[in-house]
Amino acid sequence: MTVRSFTRRLAGASFAALALMGLSCGPASAADLNALVWCDHSDPNLLKPFEDANGIKVNVKEFEGTGAGLAIVEQSQPGDWDVMVIDSIDVRRGVERGLFEPLADDQLPVADLFPEVKMDQFTVVDGKRYGITEKFGYNTIGFNKSKVDAKDMESLAALTDEKYKGRIAIYDYYLPVMGLAAMAIGKKTAELTEADLPAIKDVLLKMKANSKAVTDVVASQTALATGEVDILVGGGEWVTAGIAKENPDLDFSVPKEGAVLWSQSLAMFKDSQNKDMALKFIQYIMSPEGQARLATSSCYWGMPASTKAALTDEQKKTLRFAEQPDFLKRAQGYPAPSEDLDKKMQDVWTEMIQAQ
Amino acid sequence: MSVSTNTRVGWASVTPAVLWTLVFFAVPFMAMAVASLYPKGGDGLSLANYTQFFANPAYWRALTNSLEVTAIVTVVSVLLAYPFAWILAFVVPERWQRLALMLAVLPFWTSYVVRSYSWLLVLAEKGVINTTLVNAGLLAEPVQLANTRGAAVIGFVHFFVMLLTLTIYANLKQLSPNYAKAAADLGASPFQSFIHVILPLTLPGIMVGAFLTFVLAIGDYITPQILGGNNELLMPQLIMMQIGRRGDFASASALSIILMAVVTVAYLACAKWLKIERA
Amino acid sequence: MRALSTLYAALLYGFIFLPVAVLVLFSFQGTLFPIPPFNGPSLRWYDAVLSDARLTSGLFNSILVAVITSAIATLLGFLSAWGFTRFHLPASALLRGLITLPLTVSYLIIGMGLLIFFNWIGLPKSLIAAGIGHVVINLPLCFAIIYSQMGEHQANIERAARDLGAGELQVLTLITAPMLWPALFASFFLSMTFSWDEFVIAFLLTRFDTTLPVEIWNLLRAGLNPKTNAVGALVFGVSIILAIVFELVAFRKRPA
Repeated sequence: MTVRSFTRRLAGASFAALALMGLSCGPASAADLNALVWCDHSDPNLLKPFEDANGIKVNVKEFEGTGAGLAIVEQSQPGDWDVMVIDSIDVRRGVERGLFEPLADDQLPVADLFPEVKMDQFTVVDGKRYGITEKFGYNTIGFNKSKVDAKDMESLAALTDEKYKGRIAIYDYYLPVMGLAAMAIGKKTAELTEADLPAIKDVLLKMKANSKAVTDVVASQTALATGEVDILVGGGEWVTAGIAKENPDLDFSVPKEGAVLWSQSLAMFKDSQNKDMALKFIQYIMSPEGQARLATSSCYWGMPASTKAALTDEQKKTLRFAEQPDFLKRAQGYPAPSEDLDKKMQDVWTEMIQAQ
Repeated sequence: MSVSTNTRVGWASVTPAVLWTLVFFAVPFMAMAVASLYPKGGDGLSLANYTQFFANPAYWRALTNSLEVTAIVTVVSVLLAYPFAWILAFVVPERWQRLALMLAVLPFWTSYVVRSYSWLLVLAEKGVINTTLVNAGLLAEPVQLANTRGAAVIGFVHFFVMLLTLTIYANLKQLSPNYAKAAADLGASPFQSFIHVILPLTLPGIMVGAFLTFVLAIGDYITPQILGGNNELLMPQLIMMQIGRRGDFASASALSIILMAVVTVAYLACAKWLKIERA
Repeated sequence: MRALSTLYAALLYGFIFLPVAVLVLFSFQGTLFPIPPFNGPSLRWYDAVLSDARLTSGLFNSILVAVITSAIATLLGFLSAWGFTRFHLPASALLRGLITLPLTVSYLIIGMGLLIFFNWIGLPKSLIAAGIGHVVINLPLCFAIIYSQMGEHQANIERAARDLGAGELQVLTLITAPMLWPALFASFFLSMTFSWDEFVIAFLLTRFDTTLPVEIWNLLRAGLNPKTNAVGALVFGVSIILAIVFELVAFRKRPA
């Protein structure tokens, strides 16, 4: 055997191995729908009916926070993604980057939405709609009503009160919790500037001193449900409703200072290779059945944006459907910082976590 | 040693491994180093990602936290593992030793993500330990075990005790019993013979294990993330936060390079024990 | 002394087994929270795991990645170990150092580097990308194991074979590999273990199709329930079976 044929066989073998890998794990097929989503969209109960009805696979990739979501898009090839779930207030950021495709109002049930969450000031740019609100809720105070004084929960001051020291967890998402901290000292979430950060940081540090842990979505649910903590800063129906059956004492309040309204929208990518299917997906999510499944998704519950969502009376009660007009009146939107302020807010958040 | 005159065969056989390491390890590392010099949203070359690390105490603390936790983990693991390896090597009868070792390794065949999560269940306020102690009347009310630095340390130590037990056991088994006998013949007490003879002879094994512990622990994201309750951040958490929250790959790269520098220092400190010996 | 030893060993075994015992017990929990009181046994969470397409495809992907990357790592490790032992190559020490270097680097850093690099060259996130990373972490290990087992007596037999007219490939496949097979098997098996359990590289480098540890992480983040216990217990069961196979194959007494 010659050296050359030896080398050639070696190369052949390595190539065959690589090719085998390529065959068995090639990129997602073009017929799939690729969706950049929050975890509530990964629920098979939500996706399966759509997949079955259309004979298509929905690939989902979860992300946290608009900044990270946009970074994922920037690192992908055009056409990699078909639809995206994004904070309603951030739809503009995608539009500014030229990512999104306008949606035709007459193909979507825009008229069925709760008027307060249509958020046209954010989702419509230059007269064109780029996003449609699909789900909303509140980042406020989630608590166990058998363990705390419900009256105390009517004010954000309770969160920094010695009385609840060691009984609090903080939801690990800087935007809503810093929004709450701003409201606690009488500031408007829409008007935050860098000058407000020191005061907000003071509030955060006091909350941290009272808290046991800074928890993500699941750890937040766990901590409340298992009695590890009695109060969740930034909690709301999204943490209590899904586990209300297991622990009926879990509840949330919208305190007198107000609550932070979270609102997520669906958008379609301009470079999508599969726009018809992307539109069908958005229509499915906005349909009464889709809205009900999304509202009661396994990752977290939330209010459906459509008033026509096919929810049972019991589910509506758990979500406190009837009280929405009052809640919405008192809620404020997420802070919508510039890139620069966003980084500074995250640094303050990191400092809060690191504070002992 | 046989030496073929035909070194081309030699080159052909080592080249794939060398190329693989160059292309998929050395080059990416350099790419990361370059990326760290172009801050996100900045305009061009800048050391901002590094100055930010040293200027911002919240970032800086991630490194000191990491070093503290890793040091505690390494020391505690060695102290727990040494006697255990000793018992396995010298107290357990020879024919049961394999079984005893297998048993010690068995729990680590669960997935590593799941293992941290199981510790959470064990340590939680309503978890197994607290519930048992409270029901037995030993505790008036549950104490906070989960979501603390201690919990992360326990999660780490659990894994590294096993790893260190294995390396130290292998080391102890290679010792000839004659050393201890000779020391005893020369009038050394068992304690003296341990300190002056056995311990120095097993030091290389301990150092290899300790270094592995250090490298694996300081770069681990899962254990502190699941068990630490985000009450403090370690370096890997800070790095993942740059990616997960902000998509800031430049800053994540800079932090990775800093972490890498720390590991390199540790490597140099242990280098003389870390040679690969050939039979 | 013996009593003290027994007590110490018992405590350590207790510590080592505690989380696994809790994990397995509460995988049979009847309700939503895997914490006391235990109110099973119930198989509902196993049912949920086996009917979860993401978990089963994650399991399949993990096996695929583990087997293929371990095969590549073992092959490259074997060839390079052989090349370095049997031939005088210039800068041999330097190159050996290079190959073993990734052993001293955290997985997170290797993953970060590949993430940036693949992003630059436009290689999309995929199982292949993660697989490349797994070969990077396992190659040094395979190399070190096999290199340490290459001894003089094998070289003599190889020489004898060459004298009898065998070509290099024949020597390698018919003489060297069979003689080294315990080392090759150990390398392959260890690589499989590391690849099977690796999280951060797969997390950073895959997109939709991903490995089991990443799917378990997603599961953890999507809601607390004993389903995670059930997956963990299943993985544990499969791993024990594999370990027994390994024990039987690698360490059975062979006739001399």
